[in-house]
Amino acid sequence: MTGAGGQPRRASLVLLKRLAGSESGIAIPVFVFLAALPLFGSGYTVFILPQYMLYGVLALSLGLFWGFAGILSFGQSAFFALGAYTIGLSMKLGWGGGIVDSGYLGLILAVTFAAALAAVVGFFLFSVGIRDTYFVIITIELSIIAQQVAITQSQITGGGNGMFIDRMALNLGPIGSYSLEGDLAIYYFVLPFPVIIYFALRWLVGSKFGKVLIGIRENEDRLLSLGLNTSLYKTAAFALSGALAGLAGALYATHASFIAPSLGGVLFSTEVVVWVAIGGRTSLLGALLGGILVAWISTYLSAITPEYWQLVLGVLFVVVIVYFKGGVAGAVSRAIRARRALALNDG
Amino acid sequence: MDALSLAVSVAMDAVLVTLVLAMAALGLALIYGLIGVINLGHGAMLTIGAYVTWATTHAGIPFAAAVILAALAVALIGLAFEHFVVRHFYDQPFETLLITWGFFMITTEVIKIIFGTTMHPVTSPVTTPLDLGIAVLPAYRVLVAGISLTLIFLVAAVFYRTGLGVQIRAVIQNREVAGLMGVNIGRMYKLVFVVGCGLAGLAGGLLAPILSVGPYMGNIYLVRSFFVVIMGGVGQILGGTIVGSFLIGGSETIFALFSSQVFAQTIVFGLAIVVLRFRPHGILNRR
Repeated sequence: MTGAGGQPRRASLVLLKRLAGSESGIAIPVFVFLAALPLFGSGYTVFILPQYMLYGVLALSLGLFWGFAGILSFGQSAFFALGAYTIGLSMKLGWGGGIVDSGYLGLILAVTFAAALAAVVGFFLFSVGIRDTYFVIITIELSIIAQQVAITQSQITGGGNGMFIDRMALNLGPIGSYSLEGDLAIYYFVLPFPVIIYFALRWLVGSKFGKVLIGIRENEDRLLSLGLNTSLYKTAAFALSGALAGLAGALYATHASFIAPSLGGVLFSTEVVVWVAIGGRTSLLGALLGGILVAWISTYLSAITPEYWQLVLGVLFVVVIVYFKGGVAGAVSRAIRARRALALNDG
Repeated sequence: MDALSLAVSVAMDAVLVTLVLAMAALGLALIYGLIGVINLGHGAMLTIGAYVTWATTHAGIPFAAAVILAALAVALIGLAFEHFVVRHFYDQPFETLLITWGFFMITTEVIKIIFGTTMHPVTSPVTTPLDLGIAVLPAYRVLVAGISLTLIFLVAAVFYRTGLGVQIRAVIQNREVAGLMGVNIGRMYKLVFVVGCGLAGLAGGLLAPILSVGPYMGNIYLVRSFFVVIMGGVGQILGGTIVGSFLIGGSETIFALFSSQVFAQTIVFGLAIVVLRFRPHGILNRR
């Protein structure tokens, strides 16, 4: 490059490039776009998008566990359903007795129950060093049972007819209560969750905890020989993953106002795995966007061609597993790195 | 009904459930036990076998021939799947797990496109119940149990009494040395995979009259079969399959006497996890 004006332009370009090269460079514009969307999006988009953002949180819960600890779970839908039914029951039966807001209590209990279930299952199995593949099979059974319990315990859950839940209100104590009945209100109520959870998880995987998880994925025996109690780390990661799935489920329930047993089933769990696999299992942003976009496109295309879209999704899943282990995020970051290497060679 | 005949009928029921479950699990036990592939497509293979049986008996083909056709069809699908995909991932167990789950997703959708989602009944070839005086047994289940027992012993006979069995055992014990001794490892893996798939197809065909044929019918047997294999001990094809089936299927029957089916299933699931925790290599494996 020649000319005197080159220097500052170059500096800003470098900054832009660095931002574009990092995950935040994509994440921040995406979140800004989501925050601005109600200004120009249609009413239906504003109504439906929080649901996909919560699917994104569900995908993040799996992305953390699968991508970083390297252990796959087909049980995410069980935690999601547990969270959804917990808040549903709390609001329906008025848990908290009027002293504590039943919506808030439902959210807290949803997270607590899901985390506790994941912690119990996880600790029980990880503490004896069970194989990852066995763990996968047990999580499949976990979602089979979750769905069956939701169907058969119909006096509590409403069985196959599902359960209707009111949208919770934002209870602000002495100031009053703000209704989330409006689509715009609940949109901005839900939006912070994926944003905060995404950045919190980004911080977490960069911390010592995250490094240990990656170590478990890469070489668990080495960590064991270094004296680290890997089963505790795996249990903690699974409990956190369960908690996030439970939170997503509870928020989903109050947003959608209706839940059904299929939310706990293996097929829904499989969908979560597909979102994360396509989005990119080792990238949190890939998982989040996989959850939002693949679910969005799925619903859109299922309406046009239900059978064939599911088939395409299955084929896409196998193709990703066989050829693109890192999913879309992996392919994009590889392309960026290749371009950068090319640019370096040219320069 | 007096206590004795109740006890006898419960015991016989447990035996039948055990052997029917062993039938469903055998193909999985072979593939997992011998070549270490976690075949999450096993349930889908049972389903395909059941659909082939339903479609062919519907077209007027006798039941026995239909079941054999089901086994062949699924073996053929297994052959193609192994040749084009699975064999490239034998050294990556986790990837094969994902790929076989993809197989489940794809075949289930294809089944839904071809046959729809309605359940189809398959009429049982033998309907008169077997009256033993002290207990009455469903004849068809007795037949399936007999076939199951025969097949398990047949597999064991091939495994322990033939040259082919020696080759397979050699490959399992030491792949490299077996290869150096002239065993065609790729072919052995392929053979085991295809036979395992064929057995899954056969089991699906035989299960068709017991269950209703639907696109997700294999799912519940997938997990049950895995628990059978894990609890019995991976690689313990003869004893492990029977012991595991008894623990899973038999105990489910007994618990179902006192509680609902779902509750019994949940208890057995808990039991399986407890066993796994204290005997992670299965009941029969000491390692």
